[in-house]
Amino acid sequence: MTKWYGFRRPDGQVGCRNYTLILSATIYANSTVERVANTIYGAIPITHHLGRCQTKSDLKMTFDVLCGLAKNPNVGGVVIIDHFREELCNIDDMAHEISKTGKLIETVNIRDAGGVLNATAEATRKAMYITRELSTYKREEADISELLFGLNCGTSDTTSGIASNPALGFCSDRIIREGGRSILAEFPELMGAEPWLKEKAVNEEVARKIDEQISAYEQRIFATGEDIRGSQPTGDNIAGGLSTIEEKSLGGAKKSGSAPIQDVIGYAEVPGKKPGVYMMYTPGHGAESITGIAAAGSQVLVFSTGGGHTIAHPLMPTIKITGNINSWERMNDTVDLDLSGILAGKLTLEEAGDLIYDEVVATLNGKLTKAEILLERTGFAIHRIGISI
Amino acid sequence: MSVKVAYVVDEFKDNVATILSNDIKKGMTIPVTFDGKEHSVTVNSDIPYGHKVAIRPIKQGETIWKYGLSIGRALCDIEVGDHVHVHNIEPMRGRGDLHSEKKGCAF
Repeated sequence: MTKWYGFRRPDGQVGCRNYTLILSATIYANSTVERVANTIYGAIPITHHLGRCQTKSDLKMTFDVLCGLAKNPNVGGVVIIDHFREELCNIDDMAHEISKTGKLIETVNIRDAGGVLNATAEATRKAMYITRELSTYKREEADISELLFGLNCGTSDTTSGIASNPALGFCSDRIIREGGRSILAEFPELMGAEPWLKEKAVNEEVARKIDEQISAYEQRIFATGEDIRGSQPTGDNIAGGLSTIEEKSLGGAKKSGSAPIQDVIGYAEVPGKKPGVYMMYTPGHGAESITGIAAAGSQVLVFSTGGGHTIAHPLMPTIKITGNINSWERMNDTVDLDLSGILAGKLTLEEAGDLIYDEVVATLNGKLTKAEILLERTGFAIHRIGISI
Repeated sequence: MSVKVAYVVDEFKDNVATILSNDIKKGMTIPVTFDGKEHSVTVNSDIPYGHKVAIRPIKQGETIWKYGLSIGRALCDIEVGDHVHVHNIEPMRGRGDLHSEKKGCAF
């Protein structure tokens, strides 16, 4: 059994990073959040355009995502900033929810502080003390069974489905054999792959949920009355040879390997404890999808890309892999692992899966992804189920 | 997986192969393994890396098989060696437009 070394949080979860998170509760705290994060060593800002004037269920999803990100074990402490007073997305409700983890939390209200300059000073001072405290934390031994492993793919091409995705499936299977859990997401990109997925469902109930939830997404698409080609498959998928959403889906589903599918869960929902694959209802939109996975507590994600990609979540190291030699040659400043050996006949899928596994363990132990070094943080976006009102 | 210029996922069911070369030009004959043996397929146009070539004749409306499962249907008759892509096949899933717009073959 492989061991790794991470930061154990008061709630027992283990993170592979030890971030101070500067978290915007609403859009109107964004600039203050950015000023604070720019001043604090290693701090990660999360800013967004939401937090108010949303339908209730949509606002609740935003709240769950923001709190979920703060609860992710890669975060050691958090400073939440809001601007006046909102429903749910305010410092009190968010701090209450995040405090269930027992981690360090501070809050600043811009109006109470007397404006953005005072709020910046107050939040910066609080973030400084949190960061100093976090700097004393040491990595401790952890088990692969404590890993919640994120799976995603994007800018896919036909190499994704025959090389990097099935190799990632082998890696996921190995993690699950060692007691870990994986999250498979991107429901519109599973349309057409239901027969293959349902064979792996642990029972009839889960098989029914797979059909039901993928169909629910399809119904949302039908409601638009539009042809989704160009959006799914995307322009870059089509350039890469993928002709239809079904073809993309069948390739995409391979990421989840052969392990049993334990359950179907909602966006940003924390999965159950049994080892296996959990299917999370997210869109195919990469940043929204991996943000849902990060908010569920995933410590690391492997992103399989045929065409090459810049995506990286700010809080969850995002290891990018490709099986396409042309893409590796063009995009190896943001793609971490070259798996072109598969199609060159030099690597079996299982060997490639082991290479991914080794990279995952190294990253858990502190090895930085290229995107982390370059401060590429393109992978954060909050999925919406309602409208702005 | 050994080195191939064209790869068939389900060798007994699929009717398309994926091109794994940057150099496939119109008129070239390439080896493709399916149905348990090596066949020769002459390509009818340049086919880019990662794109698909038909390895069996496909009639308009018939299913395109890859991974042994449906990836859509043919918009027109497709000959062995034809480039198979968005110009001659269409998805059947997620089509909000299916009843609101006429579809046809690009050729």
